[in-house]
Amino acid sequence: MLAIQNLHTYYGTSHVIQGIDLNVDQGAVIGVFGRNGVGKSTLLKTIAGWIRPAQGEIVFNGERIHGQAADRIARKGVGFVPEDRRIFPGLTVEENLTLGFLQVPRRSGADNSAALRRIYDRFPRLAERRHQNGTTLSGGEQQMLAMARVMIGEPRLLLIDEPSEGLAPMIVADLFAIIGEMKQRGCTILLVEQNVPQALTACDSFIAIERGRVIRAGDASNKDDCERLMQAISF
Amino acid sequence: MSTAIEYFQFVLAPQMLIGLVLGVAVILVALGLTIIFGLLDVINMSHGEFYALGAFIALALGSIGLPFWLLLILVPLVMLPVGYIVERGLIQRVFHSGERHVTTLLLTFGLGLVMEDAFRLVFGPNPHKPETPIVGAIDVFGVFLPLYRLFLIVGGAVVVALVALVVYRTRLGAMVRAAAFDRHMAASLGVPVQHVYAGAFAFGVALAGLAGVLLAPVYSAFPTMGRDFILMAFTVVIVGGMGSIAGVVVAGLLLTQVQAISSLYISPVWSDPIVFGIMVIMLMVRPQGLFGRLGHG
Repeated sequence: MLAIQNLHTYYGTSHVIQGIDLNVDQGAVIGVFGRNGVGKSTLLKTIAGWIRPAQGEIVFNGERIHGQAADRIARKGVGFVPEDRRIFPGLTVEENLTLGFLQVPRRSGADNSAALRRIYDRFPRLAERRHQNGTTLSGGEQQMLAMARVMIGEPRLLLIDEPSEGLAPMIVADLFAIIGEMKQRGCTILLVEQNVPQALTACDSFIAIERGRVIRAGDASNKDDCERLMQAISF
Repeated sequence: MSTAIEYFQFVLAPQMLIGLVLGVAVILVALGLTIIFGLLDVINMSHGEFYALGAFIALALGSIGLPFWLLLILVPLVMLPVGYIVERGLIQRVFHSGERHVTTLLLTFGLGLVMEDAFRLVFGPNPHKPETPIVGAIDVFGVFLPLYRLFLIVGGAVVVALVALVVYRTRLGAMVRAAAFDRHMAASLGVPVQHVYAGAFAFGVALAGLAGVLLAPVYSAFPTMGRDFILMAFTVVIVGGMGSIAGVVVAGLLLTQVQAISSLYISPVWSDPIVFGIMVIMLMVRPQGLFGRLGHG
């Protein structure tokens, strides 16, 4: 479903991603772990089209997407929930959500309304606050809004960056329940997360990154692999 | 008491009315400028020339017999593709360069100079005054107000209300505000950001063209007409808050009233420096202006 080959990405003169190869099967949840600044977020941003790679190839569902504009990548079914949530402050909760309709441009108005209803059923707090400015929500609610507005576009590949950062344990549990629901619907997920033990419970497999390269890969259900991962990233 | 009322009626009120008409004119020109700045972060130095282009297109089409009321719709429609092509063909090409602000400022400045010379070549250096579409005047509290200027005030308010409605109450407006705040995130939700940018630039240019049609019967059409308003329009955009529609309205009305009323007490030569002085002070004490930027809450 997603094949990355020899990916190199720069931030200015800084060589952040230094030749990553990754193959992700349909419906799999892959954890992307590593210390701060090793290139985890840059990897997701490169896949989402926020940063143009200097070299390498990203193939999604048989189509090369590297170098394409982020909106085209989104319309191909790649959803992205970035680290800092990026809720639009001038927009209400509902406006934030309905922007997500644009990920599926050919969906009818009735289907869009049905998708919005499903989101409100799953996130009743967002329904209660639909007319409220998005940035007036609590941190947890904003994270749910960030997830919901991508989910409304029913992505086939979901890139999630540090979703639990700064959130209370109950909200984190709810968040991982949502990730589980997305997986059950067949969505492929690339999850960057600092809370590695929690993330491993949701993942099928993982990679560990160090200085822009994959230094370890393993099965999330294999105890030995997980222990070696924890040693490798010094948690 | 009666002296104060007479002073208001015969001195202050007429001056305030003159200020109000000028205010509406400035708001119409500044509206497109602030939308372009708020969304694209581009200081469009050719905006005054797009205002002039609207006036000249109206003049040319008017000379072949098209009625003024049709031109009010036709000219902005003609300006839309012009703006779209300029954004996609010129601005987009340098938009992602490291020195975006300087490059786009110089690019649009150069474009404005080319357009101004083109107007001089085609229409000559002298002013052309289109016929006033509405003749006559009414008495407003003892002040004679030409009916066309009254139409400008009402029409200007309608245009501002319609623009605010589109920007703040439609899905298209939500896309514009989202792209103005965070183009990457907007794009990842499927917003076609480059088309939104080009569309908003075209919309701003069309608004400048509409202002040209509306104001030419009052201020005439001439090659350098853009310069007269653009300095004031920039001042209004800076004082109101770069990219704020409410800011343009409040600052536009406020500054033109300052200009109009101050000229009663000091030499009118000083009214412009006072207004530009307010802009300088604003930049020093509140650089973000009176109101927030488009899409920033």
